[in-house]
Formats: sequence, C-alpha cells, structure tokens
Amino acid sequence: MMPKTKPAYLWAWPLGLALLAALPWILPPYQLRLVTEATIFSLYAVSYNLLLGYAGLLSFGHAMFFGVGAFAAAVVINSMEGVPLFLALAMATALTTLAGLVVGLLLLRVKGTPFALLTLAFNALFYAIAVKWHTVTGGDDGLTVFPSVVNFGLLSLDPGKGPDMYYLTVLVIGLAVAFCCYFTRTAMGQSVLLIRENEERMRFLGYNTNVARLMLFIITGALAGLAGSFYAIFNSFVSLDAISIEMTTKVLLMTFIGGTASFAGPIVGAFFYTYVQDFLSDLTDNWPLIMGTLFILMVLFAPGGLSGLVKSLAARLPGAKDKGSDRDD
Amino acid sequence: MRKLIMVGMVLLLAVFTATASLAGGTIKLAVMEPLSGTFKDIGDRYLEGVQYAAQVLNEQGGINGMQVEVIPVDSELKPAIATRKATKLMIKEGVKYFCGGTGSSVGGAMVALTGKKGGLFYTYGMAAASMTGAKCSKTFFRACANTDTQSYALANWVASQGFTKVFTVAQDYSFGQQATEAFIKKLKELNPKAEIVGKVLHPIGTKDFAPYVSQIINSGAEVVFTSNWGSDLTLLLKQAKPLGLKAKFACYYLNDENAITAVANDEAVVGSVAAEVYMITIPGEANKKFVEGFKKAKGYYPTWLRGKAYLATMFWAEAVKKAGSAKVSDVIKAWEGLTYDGPAGKWVMRACDHQTQQPIWIAPVVAKSPYFKHAYVGEAGMVPASKVDVPCAQTGCKGLAK
Repeated sequence: MMPKTKPAYLWAWPLGLALLAALPWILPPYQLRLVTEATIFSLYAVSYNLLLGYAGLLSFGHAMFFGVGAFAAAVVINSMEGVPLFLALAMATALTTLAGLVVGLLLLRVKGTPFALLTLAFNALFYAIAVKWHTVTGGDDGLTVFPSVVNFGLLSLDPGKGPDMYYLTVLVIGLAVAFCCYFTRTAMGQSVLLIRENEERMRFLGYNTNVARLMLFIITGALAGLAGSFYAIFNSFVSLDAISIEMTTKVLLMTFIGGTASFAGPIVGAFFYTYVQDFLSDLTDNWPLIMGTLFILMVLFAPGGLSGLVKSLAARLPGAKDKGSDRDD
Repeated sequence: MRKLIMVGMVLLLAVFTATASLAGGTIKLAVMEPLSGTFKDIGDRYLEGVQYAAQVLNEQGGINGMQVEVIPVDSELKPAIATRKATKLMIKEGVKYFCGGTGSSVGGAMVALTGKKGGLFYTYGMAAASMTGAKCSKTFFRACANTDTQSYALANWVASQGFTKVFTVAQDYSFGQQATEAFIKKLKELNPKAEIVGKVLHPIGTKDFAPYVSQIINSGAEVVFTSNWGSDLTLLLKQAKPLGLKAKFACYYLNDENAITAVANDEAVVGSVAAEVYMITIPGEANKKFVEGFKKAKGYYPTWLRGKAYLATMFWAEAVKKAGSAKVSDVIKAWEGLTYDGPAGKWVMRACDHQTQQPIWIAPVVAKSPYFKHAYVGEAGMVPASKVDVPCAQTGCKGLAK
C-alpha cells in the first residue's frame, strides 16, 4: 500500500509557489528586500556547502568566485549597452566557470590543510587583481550597475524595482538551488560523497577522483559566481567587499550556523545570518562580535548547526522514530 | 455621554494634527560615516561638523521653518551595509537626504541607491574625481575638492615656488594614483621645466618608509608631493627628518592636528604645506565668527573634517531654502548653479557635473599656533577656483544639465 503522505506532499508545492508569488503583497518593502538578499546568499551558501559538507573540502576562497561573478556582471552590463540581463548573467557565470577551471586545475591534487591555505592564497590573489586592475574593476571606488529591463513578452521585470528583483531572484536563484539539490542525487553527486568517505576505495573501483573533485569545484564556483552577479544587480553596485576574505568568512558563518549536514542547512543559515545581522546592526556597532561568538558556540556545542538542532529536537519529541543518519543526503 | 465622545474626538483630532504638523516640520538628514572600527575618528569628526550645522540652522528657525534632524548611521565603510541601512531609513522613516565623507565605494553605492529610489546624496570628503566625472549622477553633489582640484592647487603652489625637482609619494590604490596623475599633469602644464625626479606608489599601511626616503634624498628633490593620509602620512613625515631629508612636503592632509600630533616632532612638519577647501586659518570675519561659534558650542576647534562637513551642510541647506520645499527634485534644481558665500569663500555648484567650484586654501605649517600647543598650519592663502577648475567638457560627465 502506498503511504498516504504523498498527496499532501504534492499539494505543498503549489501552495509554496503561491506563497512565494504572493510575498511582495504580503511583506513590507524592506522585509522583501531582506528576503531577496537572503535568497541570493542562499545560493552562495548552498554552493559552498557542496564543497564543505558534501566533498569535505574546506575552502577559504569561495569569495573569489562570488566576486568574479559580481564584477563580471557589472563589467558586461556597463560595457555592452542594452545587453539582455540573462545574457549578462550567462557571460558572468561562464567567466566564473573559467576561473573555477583554472584554479581547480592548479588545486587538483591538493587536499586538507594545503587545499584550505591555497584557496585562501588564491582569494588574496583575486582580491589584489581587483584592487590593481582599476580600469576594469573601478578599484576601491567600485562599479555602478544598472541592468536593463527583462522582457518576457507580455510581462517585463525591472531589476531596479524591489518586487521585480525579488521575482527575478526567486526564479533564477531558485532554479539554481533546485539544480544543486538535483546534483546531490545524481551519480556524480553521490560519487563526491563517497570520495569524501573513502577516496582510496573509489580509486580502486575505477573512479577518477581528481576529475570528480575538479568538476565539483568548477560547478560550485560557477554557482557562487551566479550568486555574485545577482548580488551586484541587487545592490546596483559592486565593490571590493564582494571579493574580500570577509565575504568568504560570511559564507562560512552562514553554512556553519545553518548546518553542513543537510542540504537545507545553508539556506537556513543564509536567512538567519541576514536577519540577525540586520537586527543586531541596529542595536550595536559590535554586531560582528556577537556573530563571532554565535559561530564559536555553534561549532562547539551544535556542530550540526540550526538544522541539526531542529532535527535532534524533533527526534526527542514523543513518538519520533530514529530514522538513521542525521544527513539527508 | 455624547458630549464626552465629542470632546474625545476633538482631542484625538488635535493630537493627530499636531503629530502630522511635527512630522511635516522636520527634514531628516542621514550621515553615513564609519562610526566604529579603524576609521571611527574620521567619521566622528565629520558627524560633529554636520551636527553643528544642524544646530545652527535649527537655532535660526530651521530651513524654511523645518527643523533639521541629523540621523547618524554607521556605514562600517562597507557599501552593502551602508545601502541596506539607508534603504531601511528611506522606507521606514522617509529619509531622502544623505551625506557622507568617507569611502568612495560607500559613496558610489549610495549614489546608485539614491538614483534608484529618489533621494539625494552629497559629500564633503569623497575625493574620487570619477564621482563627478564618468560616474556623475543627478542625485549626487560634491561640496569638497576632488583629486583633480586638490592636486591642481598643490601643483600651483609648487610651480609658484619655482621648484623644478619634484618627487611624488602616494598610496598604491585608485585615490593615490589619481591624485599623483593629476598633480603631474598640472605641474607639467604650469611649469614645463619641472622634472618629476621620482614617483613612488607604496602599499597602504606601510610601516617602513626608509627605502623611499633614501630614494627621495638620492633624487635631489626640492619638494615632495604626497596625497597620503592616516599612518602613511604621519610615518612618512616622522621617518623622513631623522633620515636626513631636507625637502619639504606638499600634502593633501597636513592640516589635521591629529596627524601633526602623531608625528610628534614639530621640526619634521614645519615648512611643509597643506591644501584643503577649509582650514581654520582662513582669513576673514566670516571664518573667525564660525570658528568662535563652534569653539563656544563644542569646546574644540572646527578643524579640517568638521569644518568641511559644516560648510557642505550649510550649502545643502541653502539649496533647500532656495527650493522652498523638501522635495528632492526641487532641491536638485535649486542646487544647480547655486552660490554660497561662506567662511571658505565663494562656492558655486556647477550644474554640468555637480562639482562645487571653490577656492582651495594652502597653508604652511608653522611652529607656533594660536590654536594648539604644537605646530599647526599658519594663515591660509587662496588658490582661486579658476586655477583648479576642470572644464565641463573634460570631466567625462554626461547627461547632466549643461
């Protein structure tokens, strides 16, 4: 007999989509802005977690892809007047893919601490290029970005308007996050998991683990680049912050706070970080201190992050059954 | 009972009317400055200048009867954070006017935001020439010098002194590069015989200037141009003298008492010059009155940043006065071409790029100052606006009123 939960699960989709579509009417403009920002960071954090949570690769350089995507989108939009937004996004993502390929090839055989340190070094290199290449990136002054309106025939969306930017973000970033979710269920995604668990065994089974890791590095870089492009368009501006080590720290915080052990963890982390930062920065100038403390507490006492906490609380509820592993991958 | 209800309704109406008129009687001005972290001191001093301007305006009855409410906002020197906080103020509190002086990247992001959401942003300290050049905007006004005008003023001074061997030292980022380029360009124009005997672009936060000082000494330079600020300025000056450098410095920011205190050696700074749009040593009754008033109200002098922020805010207030309303489009229209005759001379807001045409003041550091126990800038001399002007056609700004 089929379980009776399936029809309810199917109903949740149209309901969820209807809710997403109705948000601009439900939320005040500023709250909608926060949701848009958190959605962009969700993709950034999910892409990071594919590296960290799924492949076990601790990277300190994810902002290099985020920043390349942001600057590339700005440069394309500014230099090609009237360029369609989706073409600009595609070009920026392609460039980030290329950056991921180059860096990935150089990091192919490195793992563990050397991998983490080298990604940090590459991030510093990309940052230095952004500072020095003033004619392209604007250096410390940054770049202003005003993309053109997106036309879907009868419907047109202006990224300069809050609700329109929200719809564009939910559409594109939502699809990208869905792709990430799908990717974790593909043979390639599963092989990444197995490589993390026992790389030697995978090799004995005939897998080229280097290629799998390289592919993952390129894909996550491209996704972070797409998030960066949206970040630039969302703010109508891109500065060196987008490619700084601080931007890597931000994604690290989001991912750890949300939890690396589940696909939804980084999304929870991105929303949590965005809202808590907004709330705390109104109260005190020392909000980074509070965030840092929270991060330490999470690592020490709740390594599964918020999603892990919710799961363990749910497991303690009367009637809850132990469904096995914490990870839902 | 009916009477009671009537009285209650009238009272309620009165309260609502009073609240509404109070809201309509305020013009909010958000000050986007780094109010925490490394650059807190800079942000605080700018904020003090704006707050004093608001105090003076409010004591005079406000602008067109509207009281000025200053809202300090910690930009944290991060464009994304600054624009998020500004958006919140725009949406939740209806703030339309913003100002700031620190961080051209914050300025760029604020210009994009105000352009998109219908506000106005003015600066009293962001010097990147491109902000009123290729990146100019209808909603952005600059009431201070930019890298072109400030460098041109120093080039004028170097040329007027007859120096022919000139060395340049600047921080290696867009600001330092632009300042140096503009200085060299103007100096070559004014004195073709002048020779740039050395040019150094060093990393920000350099601790050891000895190799650069040796280069300057070996080059035989008669004067050193520097746009350095912060510890890069103080350490350069501090280390140059003991290493035997005799050449004087032509600086962007030596009229900062904190910088001179940090050098902690008056001999190392006396004779060098500073250039700015405002100094407390500007001669004239208007400035004397302003300095006295500020000192009386605050207990300290309106040096450098405080003075710049005050003047820019008074200039903005003149535009609002002329507009006769707080509507941004009216204020933009009113500010274009407006003249403000204040303590630092006559300022004109040029319509073609929204860059204020203003004199730049140059003063040498002297050993004895009536304001401080240490050395400080002496009486300032004026470089007229016409001598530091960049013609509209050369700014790169397109799309604003000509």
